[in-house]
Amino acid sequence: MSVSLQSEAIDVAAEYAQLVGDSPGAAVATFTGYVRDHSDAHAVTELELEHYPEMARKVLGELGQSAAERFGLCSWRIVHRFGRLAVSETIVWVGAVADHRGEAISACELMMDTLKTDAPFWKREQGPTGEQWVASRDSDTERRARWQSRETQ
Amino acid sequence: MSITIKLFSALREALGVSEFQLDLSDISEASAQVDVAAIKKRLSQRGAEWKEALNQPNLVHALNHKVVFTDAVVSEGDELAFFPPMTGG
Repeated sequence: MSVSLQSEAIDVAAEYAQLVGDSPGAAVATFTGYVRDHSDAHAVTELELEHYPEMARKVLGELGQSAAERFGLCSWRIVHRFGRLAVSETIVWVGAVADHRGEAISACELMMDTLKTDAPFWKREQGPTGEQWVASRDSDTERRARWQSRETQ
Repeated sequence: MSITIKLFSALREALGVSEFQLDLSDISEASAQVDVAAIKKRLSQRGAEWKEALNQPNLVHALNHKVVFTDAVVSEGDELAFFPPMTGG
């Protein structure tokens, strides 16, 4: 039931062990995001993540809590990195423990879809032609909106 | 009345500053309540770069770490941040 904002690499095995150890449940789902070596139009050699620490901690904490309430989670954890990241390094890790797989998987999906658009992080890509800020994607906004429409059903 | 302004990402880069204090005593004297729109208007008077940066259609405003609309009322000691759409994950 916690959030970590960190510059160091995410130790996925340690995070998993801690998540499950906190409250053994019947279903555990996790998601790990890595730095891609390309964007839509060009190669990427490095990524820099700027963040707004106080707001990021608050938004991610509220997000985990809201996923826990919605899906009845036994435990959850969100880890997000900031600073300079090389290709293939971890960027983000989320984990959810529930009594059934559907709730655990949906909770991870909700946390990822929401943090992409609501948590104050900004990606800056470096490539062979220089650096540029990554623009927000309509597809991310649409995925985020799906959860809002489900809330009102 | 003074508040903290924070800028992030491309906005911080375009305006060359990440954080500063803004005195709003003259705005607050003129009207009972100061909202985010009034602060944007005040900062836009700093020059063309400020006007352009703060009037982007997709600009996000966060008051005390919560995303708000421009009609949110600002009080002494608040922290108001401006930034482009977020791209985490």
